[in-house]
Amino acid sequence: MFTRGALLYIGQRLVLIVFTAVAVSSIVFLGVHRLPGSALLNERRPDPAAQRELLHFYHLDLPLSQQYVRFVEGVLHGDLGESLVNRSVQITPLLLREARVSLEVGGAAIVFTIGIGVLLGVLAAVRQNTWVDYLATTTSVIGYSMPNFVIASLLFLLFGVALYNWTGGALYYNSGWTGDYGTLDQIIIPGFALGFPYASIVARLTRASMLEVIRQDYVRTARAKGLTNRVVTIRHALRNALIPVVTILGPLVIGIITGSVVIENIFGIPGLGKEFATSILQRDYNIVIGLFTFYAIIIALANLLVDLLYTVIDPRIRY
Amino acid sequence: MSDLFVGKLRAVRPLAVLGTIGILVAACGGTSTANTGLASDQTLRFPIDGDIGTLDPAAVNAETDVEIYQNLFDGLLKFDDTLKVVPDIATDLPTISSDGLTYTFKLNPKAKFWNGDPVVAKDFIYSFSRAAAEGQDAYGGDFDHVVGYDEVSSTKDWAHNQKMMSGMTAPDDHTLVIKLTSPWGVFNTELALAAAAQVVDSKVVNADDANWWATPATAVGTGPYKMTARTPKQSLEFTAVDNWWGSPQPTVKKVKIDVIGDMAQGVAKYEQGGYDLIGYGGMGSDIPIDDVLRLQKDPKLSKELKFVNKVRTIWVQFNFVKAGSPFKGDLESGPAHDLRLAFSLAIDRDQMVSVACAGGVTCSAATGGLITKGLKGYLGDGADSSAKFDATQAKALLKSGDPTGAKTKNLTYFFDPNKAIYKATAENLQSQWQANLNLHVNIQPIDHHTFLQSLSHHEYIMSREGWQADYDHPQDWFDNLFVKAGGSNGSGYSDPKVEDLVAKADAEPSLDKAIPTYVEASKQMIADAAFAPLVYFKGEFLFKPYLQGSGSNNFNDFYWNEMKIGSH
Repeated sequence: MFTRGALLYIGQRLVLIVFTAVAVSSIVFLGVHRLPGSALLNERRPDPAAQRELLHFYHLDLPLSQQYVRFVEGVLHGDLGESLVNRSVQITPLLLREARVSLEVGGAAIVFTIGIGVLLGVLAAVRQNTWVDYLATTTSVIGYSMPNFVIASLLFLLFGVALYNWTGGALYYNSGWTGDYGTLDQIIIPGFALGFPYASIVARLTRASMLEVIRQDYVRTARAKGLTNRVVTIRHALRNALIPVVTILGPLVIGIITGSVVIENIFGIPGLGKEFATSILQRDYNIVIGLFTFYAIIIALANLLVDLLYTVIDPRIRY
Repeated sequence: MSDLFVGKLRAVRPLAVLGTIGILVAACGGTSTANTGLASDQTLRFPIDGDIGTLDPAAVNAETDVEIYQNLFDGLLKFDDTLKVVPDIATDLPTISSDGLTYTFKLNPKAKFWNGDPVVAKDFIYSFSRAAAEGQDAYGGDFDHVVGYDEVSSTKDWAHNQKMMSGMTAPDDHTLVIKLTSPWGVFNTELALAAAAQVVDSKVVNADDANWWATPATAVGTGPYKMTARTPKQSLEFTAVDNWWGSPQPTVKKVKIDVIGDMAQGVAKYEQGGYDLIGYGGMGSDIPIDDVLRLQKDPKLSKELKFVNKVRTIWVQFNFVKAGSPFKGDLESGPAHDLRLAFSLAIDRDQMVSVACAGGVTCSAATGGLITKGLKGYLGDGADSSAKFDATQAKALLKSGDPTGAKTKNLTYFFDPNKAIYKATAENLQSQWQANLNLHVNIQPIDHHTFLQSLSHHEYIMSREGWQADYDHPQDWFDNLFVKAGGSNGSGYSDPKVEDLVAKADAEPSLDKAIPTYVEASKQMIADAAFAPLVYFKGEFLFKPYLQGSGSNNFNDFYWNEMKIGSH
């Protein structure tokens, strides 16, 4: 599937990802240890001896350099340590589980982003200056203008409260997360809230790109050959129009990951985004460091994936 | 071409509608009834907004942990729903020697852990000694009057170097004798607290001292429930223990707890029927005020909304030790005393409650002293003379305490905004001091953990302070906060008169006899203007009408095994 050059390129990028992860985790490690406050403090304020015992238990009494070596050794063994707030909670399995939850919601968001965005963009382009175009463009502007937390709150009200009242409790959005994998509504509604603003960006980009492509000579040639509009649009025009869209997929994935911090907290989804906010507020340094490292790896991998997608969409691109 | 797309859209539209409906899961539905009037599904569901920290008796500390944990473990004594100390695994209250130094307990021979291991007196010696050694950052200090405590509490790595407190002996399997170094009137109360004084199974704990409690298979206790599932930071599940040794036998068979983002989500889900109650697990003060006000106006839900006085007081703390603090010294009279009193008298607490607590819905004015309304040692409404609003006298005191205005120039009040009420009271204080003292005080929010750290280092001249009582005994308030050795004494306040009174009251075995002395200490602190009281907290709860036996007292949720889920 991949040429030797492509495999070499992937290998180089993976090595860079490792360096990126180490660099990010090191910066965060040093940064959080300089912050005032401590996860181990509470209003009872135990005596200093007890506090020292606790620091010793978590190896926080070691010099920073030794703590860092321990941390790096742990990371290399896939062990990000233990939560400082929730005792006995190992961070690596915790983050892996939360990543799966976030992946489900984020996956739904990407499906919405691309599905709705491309659909609206193509419709607007092929029906330029008609009510379809105006509707699609207006929808895009609305999505583009509204922050995801506003959309999330409105959806929560609509499906969680209003729908419950309208149907007498027969139908409603069941917030939170059920079981290991959640239910469809628990994935789709937050996914929509997360993805819709980005879908609007994709829609605008797709429309502009399609409008440019469908006026190209090769499209006119395809029509002249007697191909159906469907074939011309999907097989010839859309494929080329998608290249700019793929270009912004990387930043969009990053936007979805960072947007999940807000969305997961609004909908009560136990994913990485919720963890991000909780662990920072609780000063759970071990989780914060692990989480940033995790995010760095995910974002770097997402960018690599997008780069590889170019070759699939545009065979002229080679690595 | 465009027609094609529009046509496709038309074709897809009904599917989309059906799909949308399809993905919305209907989670409602009442449970079937039986002749007993109880629901066939005895599963209790409620949310908490943060995961448990630990369920290990040696380490348990946070309110959420205690509220859950009290259903999984037992001690010698416990609090009943009216906060009276009653026997738990002990068959009766202890017999106390005439010198107040020896406590003898008889244990219930039926008591056993859910894994079948019997509970014997040696288990208590092991459990209390372990807590004394490993629980110094929690409630291990509750055993500091037991003979041998000092040696055990200073043991390093107790799990591998186990020492037992020499003052605890077991003449037989069902008799436990505890000797104290000096009379300690609060000892029974400390033993009743669902924290360090709970019994654990040494066989299980020794296998993995740090993590035994975290896994359902090894989280072995003596309580009516046991943990059967735990997904950290997502959910907890507990199941009633078959043939539990105590009473009443649990009717609620399962308890499912979701760890959610915030209580606004919990309230929404409660209204959908997804939860049976809101407020358990220490969440009684966490319902957003907007939701409380909305629920109050709802004819149906207002009947399900309950308010309970909780055990938290907040006040303005003055720094008594930091160099340059204008509030330092002059305990009963003098410029610093006048300044402290001026700041206190300049607060109209009724106005504060009206503004910061939605007209008194979520808190009440702290006019009865340090100890929260409803607890032993409360002085009575309006009994605290430093909590009376008197702007004229406040201005006069400010003038006498700081004639030039130099001492109070650029003062800053520090607070942690992790609770909405802290921010609301800070803003209200600033506005009232401006209006009533004609003095601008800066207010500075500091994140909670940094705030606590700075507070323990006496860094703030003036700040938010508060206390949530551990048990209904005045000792808990004074010893921690207002004596020199108090671990949570962030102000550095120390008055020899108060120290003597508290020491005398602490040694009195009879609480009834001790209370007048604690009251005297309280009054001395008021005379010193040791702090400026603000408000007492209230807890908000929602209970479905079909719940029986649910509720909360000032401290704790009612025990799960006392509850039943009626048909609905």
